[in-house]
Amino acid sequence: MKVELVNPFIHATTSVFRTMLGCELTRGQPSLKTNHVPEYEVSGLIGLTGKCQGMVVVSLGRDTAIAATEIMLSERPDGLNCEVVDAVGEIANMIAGAAKSQLEQFQLSVGLPSVICGKNHSIGFPSNCTPIMLPFDSMIGPVCVEVGLSEAVTVRQPALAAT
Amino acid sequence: MSTKVLVVDDSGTMRKIVIRALNAAGFRDTVEAGDGAEALRVFQGGDVGLILTDWNMPNKSGLDLTRDVRALGSKVPIFMITTEAEKGRVVEAIQAGITDYLTKPFTQDALQAKLEKYAKA
Repeated sequence: MKVELVNPFIHATTSVFRTMLGCELTRGQPSLKTNHVPEYEVSGLIGLTGKCQGMVVVSLGRDTAIAATEIMLSERPDGLNCEVVDAVGEIANMIAGAAKSQLEQFQLSVGLPSVICGKNHSIGFPSNCTPIMLPFDSMIGPVCVEVGLSEAVTVRQPALAAT
Repeated sequence: MSTKVLVVDDSGTMRKIVIRALNAAGFRDTVEAGDGAEALRVFQGGDVGLILTDWNMPNKSGLDLTRDVRALGSKVPIFMITTEAEKGRVVEAIQAGITDYLTKPFTQDALQAKLEKYAKA
């Protein structure tokens, strides 16, 4: 995956955590993802389509997801409940949206977010891209953003023969 | 502040954040909708003096909600709060009839400042 596709997600993640959660992120070393299991228990997924297509996964530990929700709502959620699921979906949505605005040349559209919770769940990225893992650390715990995007293949329609 | 404000977002978290800012700006009368279709029904019920809406939602988007509200002949202020930040998208929203625009992520202060403008109006 090209660096020009990854950097906007680093900036977007840092910006969303700083602005919405008042939380500074420390970047770890990016690496290629070689399996289907996200780093942590709670995953916010969002699809991107346009001249590039693929998916972004925002992966948080249970305690990190609860802490993030507590900051956003100004009240402590009662465990890993629907409020946490909604908040993680919104965080994924904002990260994808903020990155998209820095990738204007690809004319991307962002889908609606989904959230998966549970230990060792699997998420399959499109087969034509190897996702990059972007690890971060913060005062509320570690966060990992996985980005798998590839340039869309244009299928040319065959010209119709004159009859 | 007696203006009834309709807050439209498919995220309950975002609706809570926006309502908290509305309350801090002096707006006490708020109603919520989880998508544009529900919002249109609430709006047609009458009395709404300000709409704050997300763009990307299931069933009916905030953009289509704006077009529908304007097609009804209403001049109610519509304030869009969205991740859509590209210039072309902002122009599209203005052409549909929105009054104001704020991109996510936003600070509480930025939202507050925008809302206080409507509180004074």
